[in-house]
Amino acid sequence: MGVEGIGAKVLRKEDRRFITGRGRYVDDMSVPGMKYAAFVRSPYAHAKINGLDTSAAEGMPGVIGILNGQQLQGDGIGNLICGWAVSSKDGTPMKMGAWPALASQTVRHVGQAVAIVVAETQAQARDAAEAVMVDYEELPVVTKAVEALKDGAPQLHPEAPGNLIFDWELGDRAATDEAFSKAAHVTRLHIHNNRLVPNPMEPRAALGHYDPAEDHYTCWTTSQNPHVARLVMSAFYNVAPEHKLRIIAPDVGGGFGSKIYIYPEEIVCLWASKRTGVPVKWTSDRSEAFLTDAHGRDHETDVEMALDADNKILALRVETVANLGAYMSLFSSATPTYLYATLLSGQYDIPAIHANVKAVYTNTVPVDAYRGAGRPEATYVVERTMETAARELGISPAEFRRKNFIRSFPHQTPVIMAYDAGDFDATLNAGMEAADVAGFDARREEARSRGKLRGLGMSCYIEACGIAPSKAVGSLGAGVGLWESAEVRVNPVGTIEILTGSHSHGQGHETTFSQLVAERFGLPVDNVQVIHGDTDKVQFGMGTYGSRSGAVGMSAIHKALDKVEAKAKKIAAHLLEADEGDIVIENGEVKVAGTDKKLGWHEVCLGAYTGHNLPDGMEPGLKEGAFYDPTNFTFPAGCYICEVEVDPETGTTQIIQFVAADDFGRVINPMIVDGQVHGGLAQGIGQALLEGTHYDDAGQLLTASYMDYAMPRAWDLPMFKVSTHETLCPGNPLGMKGCGEAGAIGSPPAVINAITDAIGNNELTMPATPEKVWKALSAVE
Amino acid sequence: MNLFEYIRPTSVAEAIAAAGEPGSAYLGAGTNLLDLMKGGVTSPNRLIDLTHLPDLGKIEQLPDGSMRIGALVKNAALAHDTAFSKAYPAVAEALLSGASAQLRNAATVGGNLMQRTRCAYFADPASACNKREPGSGCDAIGGENRHHAILGWSESCIATHPSDFCVALTALDATIEIEGAGGRREVPITDFYLLPGDTPHEETVLEAGEIIVAIKLPANAAGFAGHQRYLKVRERTSYAFALVSAAAALEIENGTITEARLALGGVAMKPWRSAAAEAALAGLSPTREAFEKAAEAAFADARPSGENAYKIELGKRVVARALAMAAAGTPERMPALPASPFASDTGAIAHV
Repeated sequence: MGVEGIGAKVLRKEDRRFITGRGRYVDDMSVPGMKYAAFVRSPYAHAKINGLDTSAAEGMPGVIGILNGQQLQGDGIGNLICGWAVSSKDGTPMKMGAWPALASQTVRHVGQAVAIVVAETQAQARDAAEAVMVDYEELPVVTKAVEALKDGAPQLHPEAPGNLIFDWELGDRAATDEAFSKAAHVTRLHIHNNRLVPNPMEPRAALGHYDPAEDHYTCWTTSQNPHVARLVMSAFYNVAPEHKLRIIAPDVGGGFGSKIYIYPEEIVCLWASKRTGVPVKWTSDRSEAFLTDAHGRDHETDVEMALDADNKILALRVETVANLGAYMSLFSSATPTYLYATLLSGQYDIPAIHANVKAVYTNTVPVDAYRGAGRPEATYVVERTMETAARELGISPAEFRRKNFIRSFPHQTPVIMAYDAGDFDATLNAGMEAADVAGFDARREEARSRGKLRGLGMSCYIEACGIAPSKAVGSLGAGVGLWESAEVRVNPVGTIEILTGSHSHGQGHETTFSQLVAERFGLPVDNVQVIHGDTDKVQFGMGTYGSRSGAVGMSAIHKALDKVEAKAKKIAAHLLEADEGDIVIENGEVKVAGTDKKLGWHEVCLGAYTGHNLPDGMEPGLKEGAFYDPTNFTFPAGCYICEVEVDPETGTTQIIQFVAADDFGRVINPMIVDGQVHGGLAQGIGQALLEGTHYDDAGQLLTASYMDYAMPRAWDLPMFKVSTHETLCPGNPLGMKGCGEAGAIGSPPAVINAITDAIGNNELTMPATPEKVWKALSAVE
Repeated sequence: MNLFEYIRPTSVAEAIAAAGEPGSAYLGAGTNLLDLMKGGVTSPNRLIDLTHLPDLGKIEQLPDGSMRIGALVKNAALAHDTAFSKAYPAVAEALLSGASAQLRNAATVGGNLMQRTRCAYFADPASACNKREPGSGCDAIGGENRHHAILGWSESCIATHPSDFCVALTALDATIEIEGAGGRREVPITDFYLLPGDTPHEETVLEAGEIIVAIKLPANAAGFAGHQRYLKVRERTSYAFALVSAAAALEIENGTITEARLALGGVAMKPWRSAAAEAALAGLSPTREAFEKAAEAAFADARPSGENAYKIELGKRVVARALAMAAAGTPERMPALPASPFASDTGAIAHV
């Protein structure tokens, strides 16, 4: 592997600038003449807009312009779209209500943008935004999806009667019913998957700049996928033509999915820049982030598992109601369907599965993909059910899982996915050994002697990453292909620039992508520059989400490197008068195998650019591009084991130990992978113990600040015991599966399984706050 | 827009004179007041910044053995003052369990005494609140009131006092030194706060224009130094207010409790000193039974003000445990997680 090649724990190159405060984020960007924007936002969850009076605000100091939804519509700016078409089981297309970037007639959630104020300073813009008088007529409100489906519930969109967006199914209902009729035991569970607020460290921001001289638009924005933003903003929102629009996503401080979507603010800032003639910058504050960043999860699910007399799973039946909020966000339809129900087979051989998902409008912030996106919800359903069934049957949860593991690959599940590889026994064994499951009973007794309740919980998750084969997702309704592109630009001195359509917002791509070059040519990673996040620089790309940058993005780089290597070898063979097949490149040298004939890598590169002595007919230069379209999803899997201690006097839960044994396929940088797992676990444990999103009956978000929304802190987390176990993914050249989301996907059920084990009551919802644990304990006392 | 005048006096007398203007408010570090102003809860027309007054930033040992803490001493500075935390470890522990490190670095001890309730209805100008707007009613009654008072509340107000620091001060008989137009006076902290009654907007005995200049801890409080703890139970381990907290201090001689001190936080609109619990402990051996008896006594008069009956049971458990922790002895070093129930058994913490 070399010191900096594949598998090396190379320190993150990008951290030098991050930890010295030199990262450059959208809010750090400045353009001559730039002014500041503030949005007028609805204080009501559901209201008709009867009028908008900007007269007082227009006269306030520093105000340059105030623009509203009617003007936006008048300029032909299109409504926000959902990029994945999902049809109901009766064949009807999903029922989507209109979402204008600035509301002009109706507001449907607290925080929805109604107007933009542009002023000389941010403070002036905010003061003037407060002075804009909107005449609202309040309408009845519904915030819970189950309530929204009931007769007589307040109606959000005329396009979606009964607030039902789609009623979708997957799997074989008849076969599932048949299996249930033969069941020796049925385990039933109602599951609530709590709504989460993503909370990346950097709030969203946008800087729109229209240049009349060139008739050109530039938008700096906090995006995980700048090319998608350009495509959507030009093709659907008509803000600017694609060839005259440059999107730059510079350093971005975390996204977790919430920065995939193209939000009203960046559209409006760019449009406002043209309307007002000044560059317009908006930076979200934390309160706005709570009220406008797409939320995650929010499912209510009834699950039933049928088992035979030998404790083999016969079938799984799942009914889910998914709250999509007030509008359909960009990938909101895919998250509770094709990213969720397709994973309901878990790591188990389940002959029949049927899932029914109803997606519902409510007067809440739109819900979309958030770290894991559908897969955490599926894993929570499957792994809570597995643990519950094992307890009901009085058998070891580990042995019950083992009994039902899939062991031969490829394995076609009844819910679309074809698992290509895996070794679930290996991760289960590794997890149980690291967690010292054998010694748990003694630890439980010791804790009991101190008046504490210990519990052990397990979760054997599988997820689908490497999103995704374009043909497959196209057939399932996706509006885009999900390939990735790369360009490898070798300079005449031998240094290398990688231009990638993946986007790094914390993942460490600048390091791991460079390691591919180090592996291939033996060059130091410092000789590699990774360029991303700018549509004027990078050819094209689909961005970063769904743990795809390794399996898809790096595969594209791998393909481009193949082409560079082939051409470099041709040039070297010509210069060294050797056979192309005898050329090897290692440690920065290009050698003829078995001889002492060699050239420096830089000599070959220079030769490519001088063109003085190239093979006949060869074009000068050394620069190659590639598009990589995956052939299948990848399937990271693993076993998480959580041990908790509950204090029965206060209901507080302390995580004593958390073990993660993951199979991510090939690992490029183990340190970065560990970091991804740690971060994912923190988010998953946050969901399980702390993070609850609550609306009151009027649709006000009660948990809209860090005083009310509990983010996990260092204290809430133990030192994690993580390990990886490689079964290579056969579907891509590097054998990678992806590691970005596993921690958040696998951990919540492990935590809840552990607490319910400790307290002897299976009725416990996330977040398992001390109050809920106390109540659950009281119920069994 | 919230327009106000900003004044930066250079002496206490000047500050008191400036406060003669109605609608004035004293500004310490602003960690509470500025939030309330931004939220529209309070809108003073004159802010008198006290943070530049001379001579209010000292921690001094007085000749009689008592300790005097200037009102502008920062929370963090006091908690980390070696002599202070040795003499009054539960006060230091209480200070370090409050807010966040950043806030403790900014907040002053005088301001801590004057912080306002965290009742959500008080903080929401759209809700009825007799404290914010006398006579408007109380939306906390019948509302979301899991965190509200179980002792000393009235039909006008069920809010609680949020301070940790003041609970430990109350257990140790601190006094508050006040200066006003009429000169200086001292008030025991147990008399400083007013229960809501029919006038919940009146929170302390401070007269208009009076300034807290110092807090004094008596010399005899140091007699409890070997057996005092602060225990705070909250919904998360940092940056949260207490559901119930307790400051417990014991004098133990020959295996018998000679004197006990107990004050409770999060249960009433003032730090709640429990004379009944203290009396119940005197002369007993420090056993679990004794502590449970004291806990019963401490909450004998408690009654729920809403959906918070659980706080009575929780409070009893907290009191019994705080007393047990005090009896076990003040830890050599400040626990890595001050006042946390997690750290109670061994003093050691799993993850730190």
